[in-house]
Amino acid sequence: MATNSKKRKVLLLLCTGAAAALLAFADLKRGEYTPAQLGALRQSAPPEFIADANFPASAYPVPAMDLAPGDGLQEVRIYCNTCHSPRYITMQPPLSPATWEDEVNKMNRAFGANISDDDFRKIITYLQAHYATNTRR
Amino acid sequence: MRVHGISRRALLRRMGLAGVAAGLGVSPAGMLLLGQDQSHEKAIESFTGPGPNPYWNSVGPYISEPQKAPLILLTDRPVQLETPREYFRTVFTPNDAFYVRWHLSGIPNAVDLKTWRLKIEGNVKRTIDFSLAELIHNFKPVSVAATNQCSGNSRSRLQPRVPGAQWGNGAMGNAMWTGVPLRELLDRAGVKERSIQVQFQGLETGPGPNGLPSNLFLKSLDLSNSVIDECVVAYLMNGEPLPMLNGFPIRLVVPGYFATYWTKCLTWIRVLATPDENFWMKTGYRVPNTPGGNTTPDDVKSGNVETLPIGRFPIRSFLVSPDGLSKLVAGMPIALRGIAFSGFGRIVRVEISDDDGKNWTPAKLSEDYGPYAFRGWDFPWTPKAAGQYSLAVRATDDKNNVQPDQPLWNPGGYLWNRIERQRLVVGEAS
Repeated sequence: MATNSKKRKVLLLLCTGAAAALLAFADLKRGEYTPAQLGALRQSAPPEFIADANFPASAYPVPAMDLAPGDGLQEVRIYCNTCHSPRYITMQPPLSPATWEDEVNKMNRAFGANISDDDFRKIITYLQAHYATNTRR
Repeated sequence: MRVHGISRRALLRRMGLAGVAAGLGVSPAGMLLLGQDQSHEKAIESFTGPGPNPYWNSVGPYISEPQKAPLILLTDRPVQLETPREYFRTVFTPNDAFYVRWHLSGIPNAVDLKTWRLKIEGNVKRTIDFSLAELIHNFKPVSVAATNQCSGNSRSRLQPRVPGAQWGNGAMGNAMWTGVPLRELLDRAGVKERSIQVQFQGLETGPGPNGLPSNLFLKSLDLSNSVIDECVVAYLMNGEPLPMLNGFPIRLVVPGYFATYWTKCLTWIRVLATPDENFWMKTGYRVPNTPGGNTTPDDVKSGNVETLPIGRFPIRSFLVSPDGLSKLVAGMPIALRGIAFSGFGRIVRVEISDDDGKNWTPAKLSEDYGPYAFRGWDFPWTPKAAGQYSLAVRATDDKNNVQPDQPLWNPGGYLWNRIERQRLVVGEAS
């Protein structure tokens, strides 16, 4: 039948067209997605201000973090945390054991951390054991 | 038969697979990807060293701090945040993207302008203070476009690595600062004879004992330094109040000088008759008195390295875009864009090399906002063939300072200004 033949012709044309499209863009990729994790980043909500002379900024966020477990961690938490968060430790590149000793010395003497001799040794040993050139993971 | 580089057999194979895929409910287009690189954006893995940080910025998570856009977190208490590379596409760095660096954890969370006063005291004829309203209305405002760069910007490049904030290149920014000339404030108070320095103190405090650097952050400039006449006590940053983390309500602007002198939340201006010997002047923020501030770990160990307080920042330039996150097309003209600045003079030349620094061609400089501002530049570039390119950028100022191509080292990790390079991959256009 004529109509059927016409239909067949149209279908053939369509197929050829599709094949040609595939040929032209043979290496085209599309529709790829990858699973991802959302971070804790949120949009800031506009604060409720009062039109007085007080100019506030909200509290500065301190995300939770872990230090390597081990002897001396307790002392690090007590002393170092007084002035700064432990991120000051993990931010550092792997430092030589001598440099870690210098750093803790600086905190103790110049910055007045006032660490007892025992705890002072423990803190240095801890940092050398986990965050030095030969130990950092 | 080869059509567009694909053999007929390969085509049939793919079409066959497409047929199978259709039966499995997988899109034929998707099936075309089989056997090819499944490339997608990957996050930078944690990087701490001991090698130099290979990335433009420091490596760290983004964080949203009050009044700020998401920035790269270095530390949270006290706060240190780095500006991502893309914000340097404009020569004026947005306030909410401007990097943040504090020394002590007691950063203000609120300032009551009813009671807040800027005090000018010490070796002066009359101790005076000014409310913010008085600073705004009793003085003719002046503006200066000036680059603010942390002394330790790019510290993560040094070899061997040194302790301190591990900045990539984003501890810098440029803003239009508006306020009162420091000199006018000093004149109102009347600097007494035999005064030698002026000390600056902000609202920042730490939990350390009185008199120690863990309690107060104090910086001083010599009264004989000509920069005193260029300093501005700024209450506007790019035409807006300063974010708290950048020093609300006022900040000292010391054009051409490293940011350590740009006291945030400036509240005390103190004229001194004796040199400031506090830690932040006498021990911290010092650079070797050597050409370019360069030295070696051995020389430091020997104890023979004389040091000076850090001062002006050396000349630098950066390629901002393209940033290497996209592949470029051979034969297709694009624009290279970036910034340059120097603490010693006006930028007069920025040059580009696309062969890793062998041959240099000048870029076009954009609008000049003054000797201390970022100077934008652009450069039309057409990669001729597919392949790997190492682009280098080099700036020169009107004092003939040119960026060096050698690495630098000093124990503080200061003054890095080596020629920057960007690796770019160019693919074929057909």
